[in-house]
This record gives sequence, C-alpha cells and structure tokens, in this order.
Amino acid sequence: MSGPKKSEYKATEAEKIQAKVAKAEKDYFNEKYSPLLREMRDLSLKENYGGFAAGRAQADTMQTLTKPSLAATKAVDTSAELASAAGAQQIMAQGKGLAAKRQRQVGVLATARGQQADATTGLASVAKLEASDRLQSAQRKQMMREAQQGAALEIGGTLFSQGMANIGNDGKFFGGDLRDKERQTDDGLVKTSLMRLGDRLAQKGYGPTG
Amino acid sequence: MIGKLMSGMIETLKDVDDPQDLYAQMTRDDYDQYLKDFRPFEEQLLKARNDTSLIDQARKDVQTQSRIASEVAARNTERYGGAGLSNAQRQQQQRTLQRGTSLAAVGSINNARVMQREVNQATLADLINIGQGVNRNALSQMNTAANLQSQRYNAYKNAKAQHSSQMIGFGSQLGSALLTAFLI
Repeated sequence: MSGPKKSEYKATEAEKIQAKVAKAEKDYFNEKYSPLLREMRDLSLKENYGGFAAGRAQADTMQTLTKPSLAATKAVDTSAELASAAGAQQIMAQGKGLAAKRQRQVGVLATARGQQADATTGLASVAKLEASDRLQSAQRKQMMREAQQGAALEIGGTLFSQGMANIGNDGKFFGGDLRDKERQTDDGLVKTSLMRLGDRLAQKGYGPTG
Repeated sequence: MIGKLMSGMIETLKDVDDPQDLYAQMTRDDYDQYLKDFRPFEEQLLKARNDTSLIDQARKDVQTQSRIASEVAARNTERYGGAGLSNAQRQQQQRTLQRGTSLAAVGSINNARVMQREVNQATLADLINIGQGVNRNALSQMNTAANLQSQRYNAYKNAKAQHSSQMIGFGSQLGSALLTAFLI
C-alpha cells in the first residue's frame, strides 16, 4: 500500500489552459483597456461642459432677442429683458453642463470601483438646451412689440392707400363730403358717423386689395 | 490558414506555474493601481458634493450679461440714428437696465442655488450608491476570507482531535498488548 502521489494532484490540461488564457486576458486588459478609463477620468476632469453649454445658450439668446428692431430699440425695458433672459439661460446651461460633468465623473468612479456605470457622456442632454422662462418671456414681449408695430404699419398703410384713393375720387382724404352728399340726396337726413363707417366698410373697392 | 494560426496561438501563451500566487499578485497590483490612479479622483469627487461653482459663476454672469445688454442697446440706438429717443427716455432705459440687472442678479443667484443643490444632491446620491457597492463588496470578500479561516480552523481542530483519538487508540492498543504480554 503506497501513500498519495504528487503527480495525481497535478492540474488538468483544461485548468492549465484556463489559467494561461486568464493571464493573457488580464495582461491585455491592463495594456489596452485600463488606460482608457484613466483617459476618461482625465477628460471628465478637464472638459468644461458648462462653458460649452453656456456658449450655445448665449448664442441662442442673442439670436432670439437681438434682431435689429426699432420698436425694441425704443422700448424702455429691452436691455433689462435681454440681461435677465441671458442670465437665466446661462444659469440653466451651466447647471446642465455641471450635471453632465458630474454624471460622467461618477460613471468613471463606478467603473473603477468595478460597478455597473452609466456609459452615456451626458453631452446629449447638454445639447438639448431649452429656452428658460425668462428667455421665453422676453421673446414673447419682443414678438408683441413687433406685432404691434406691424399692425400699426398695416393700419396706417391701409388708411394711407384708401385716403389716396379718396383724394383721387373727390379730393378729400377721408371722403366725408361724398358720403354726406349721398346721404342728403337719398333721404334728406344727416346720418351718424357710426352709420357712415358701416357704409364705408360696405363700399365696394374698399382697402388696398379691393 | 488563419484558423490554423489562431488555433495554434494558445500554445504560445506562457504557462502559469502557480495560479494562486499569480491571482494574489494580480489582486495586489490592481489595488495598488486603483490607489494610484483613482483614489485622488474619488476624494475630489467626494468633496464635489459641496461644490458652489454654479453660484459663483452666476454672480459673474449677471454683470457680464448686463454689460452686453447695455452695449447691444447702444449699438441699436446708433443703428437707428438715436431712434428718436429723448434724454429722459435714455435715462429711463438705463434705470430700467439697472433695476433689471439687480433683479436678475437676485433671481439668477437664487436659481443657481437651487440648481447647485440639485446637482450636488444627485452627486451625493450617486456616491452613496457607489459607496454601498464598495461596502457590499468589502463585506462579501471579508465574509469569504472569514469563512475560509473558519474552515481551516475547524479542519485543524478536527485533524488534532482525530490525531489525539488515534494516539489514544494506539496507546490503549499498546497498553492492552503489554498487559496481555505480562499477564500471560
């Protein structure tokens, strides 16, 4: 009866290959993949997402609110609105940028700690900057100023063209004499100005498109 | 051809004489590497939960935006040849800008505080999650080590008891053999 032989306790061929492959894979990982995480760590510290987002936000604000406009130039609160909206946009952009930066840093740390990490860079959320309430409000005010000016110009234009047409007909800009004469000829009564306005609106060929 | 080369490549890999020793070495190296490459980064991130950069930036931004708005207004006024603004209107514009800037500063800093808090809280939550994982891993590894030590201790005690029992058995057998020899 003999004792245990060392040769009987040797690793099998499969175990040897498994160890060889594991060692090779680990060396490969250390050489190729490990530096990538260090690279990502450096990027997450260095990249200024806030600055990138703030630049975009500033461009958006300026494109929205600084179109040359006489109405805006004359308005008393345009500059204040611009400063306020731009400030709000900056805060929102810087906030989003910082959140994305932290998300990336936390992802790097989680990966280094061998935990499941969010692989997104957060840049996508930074790129989708919304307009802040202040910018929207300033934009609405700007739009209203433009619309009011546009409406005033349109009304003025219509008045002018109709006035010119009236001058061509009877020599009066508002054509009041003609209406009064017609009314006195029809029933012998001077009608109210409201009725005259109704008559004018009903008149064929009224306005610049008539 | 490629298949033949690939199938032969595994033979070129170096043999591992002592996988246990190598595994211990790898674990040591990995931990050293982690301490060198990521521990300062981790500590920096742990401090970032008290970050105030957004609030600081907001203070600067408000002044910059006020200056830009004022310059834009000046350019537009020049573009429209004064835009028919009286001195009183210009003064009123300046006053409104100053008022607006003051309000914007207060509003921006308040918003920055809220946003900073949100970012810091999110970072804190993520760090807590990571910390929980670190703690879980550490406890799990310690549990494995403690179990292995317990098994070793029990194996040693069992072997010792078995040895004692064998020795007692051997002694008693020897004693009874001697007694038999003397008494016969």
